[in-house]
Amino acid sequence: MDIAVEPAAPAAFRDPSFFTHIGRKAIAALENLGRYVGLIWWILRNLRNAREYSKTFFAQMVQIGNDSIPIVIFVSTFVGMVTAVQSAHQLYSWIPKTVVGGLVIKSVLLELTPLLTALVLAGKVGATITAELGTMRVTEQIDALEAMGYDSISFLVTPRIVAGIIMFPVLVVFGDLLAVCGGLFGATVVSDVPGGAFINGIKSSFVSWDAFFGIIKATIFGYTITSIACYKGYFVEGGSAGVGKATMATVVLTCLTVVMLDFILASVLL
Amino acid sequence: MIAVQDIRKNFGDKPVHRGISFEARDKETLVVLGKSGGGKSVLLKMIIGLLRPDSGSIEVDGRNVVTMSYRELQALRFRFGLLFQGAALFDSLTVRENIALALRQRGTYKEHDLSEIVAYALSIVGLEGAEDLMPASLSGGMKKRVGLARAIAPNPRYMLYDEPTTGLDVETADGINLLINDLRSKLGVTSIVVTHDIHSAFVVGDRFAILEGGVTIMTGTRAEIDKTRNEDVRKYINSSLSPSRSSPP
Repeated sequence: MDIAVEPAAPAAFRDPSFFTHIGRKAIAALENLGRYVGLIWWILRNLRNAREYSKTFFAQMVQIGNDSIPIVIFVSTFVGMVTAVQSAHQLYSWIPKTVVGGLVIKSVLLELTPLLTALVLAGKVGATITAELGTMRVTEQIDALEAMGYDSISFLVTPRIVAGIIMFPVLVVFGDLLAVCGGLFGATVVSDVPGGAFINGIKSSFVSWDAFFGIIKATIFGYTITSIACYKGYFVEGGSAGVGKATMATVVLTCLTVVMLDFILASVLL
Repeated sequence: MIAVQDIRKNFGDKPVHRGISFEARDKETLVVLGKSGGGKSVLLKMIIGLLRPDSGSIEVDGRNVVTMSYRELQALRFRFGLLFQGAALFDSLTVRENIALALRQRGTYKEHDLSEIVAYALSIVGLEGAEDLMPASLSGGMKKRVGLARAIAPNPRYMLYDEPTTGLDVETADGINLLINDLRSKLGVTSIVVTHDIHSAFVVGDRFAILEGGVTIMTGTRAEIDKTRNEDVRKYINSSLSPSRSSPP
């Protein structure tokens, strides 16, 4: 006997919990956004409190800036070298070698150093901040601060965000210089581009706006990474497992946000 | 005086408090007894405004904590010392810095004075010379005593203790109990102790509030508890006093 079978809807749509799940996710996302905005609003309203905690601020400048120098040296130098080598490799033989210097300086200032530094620091600085604050939350250290009469947001969050806004551009400018040096090394040693031609290329292509654009991007990336990391850490839930999840979420979310902002800033400012 | 009136609190769909009321009179130690997971720590956090109840009132010296602004709460917290269950020491700071942090927020001290107060607070809890140790190198009992030193260093009017003897050996627990009694008798500190360790409770408490199922089933002195005919109270006390339910050695 033949049995007529009606075509079934996809399993996900037959299951009412699918829509409930989507709805809950949407509400949770809106709640998170609201809480993030609330956190930033609190920081702005209480900037005066943060001045009292200047010692914490300088400690964060050191942690975010000074402690990131080795990784910035490594990344920027290699970025400069590989950009020079690949640029030289892709040029037709009749194109003057000065173009290599021009390509390196443009790529490095506008895109590569700010973006790659931000992505690397999203992992290093972002994960560190979330893990630190998250651990403080689950071990009640943040409650202890509040119980002593401290404004824990001004004491813990504001110095980290302000230090990020200040130190990211400094690191990027430092990275720009190293990337150019790396480019010079790569071009002359690996790709046989004369040093003079490389430097002439840099001189003829350098536009101060490019450097300024990189600094603007670094400032915005610095704010984005530290604020997301602080938010995720400060409001962590669920014990040590929650700290692990929040740290991972920080790295993923900051990387995605940085890439997205990179496109938006390029579209708007260039 | 601290007066808690008909406190109700839900976390999501789960009711934690369904009507808690008690009062801690000046210069007495009130012990809040209840099972683990019954929201006793939440209660302490509500008293200093770290959490807000869904309804009810908490009055400290006649002012309702529930309706205070953040600035008012900050000022109120200067009157309190809170010993957290896990001590909540700042693990990146030394013992000295942990204790000094509590003092720095409350006034301008010269470094010499800070050192003296820190040393005195540590001597009270029997940890002389521990100033330069890091929390990671301390045992559980030592952490709790440093937490207590940090709480009492600013000379608070009210002390809140969250499970002060849980997880400690008998000797250390007895030491903490003696300290709680000393603070009341020598400094006139008003204290609220939340615990499920009934043995410690009877050592330190002047009066007791017993919580069961999110409500206060009795408040009274030890003598009143011993005489009560309230079946729930008797059941709670008997089950807590049985050896298998007592706190770990």
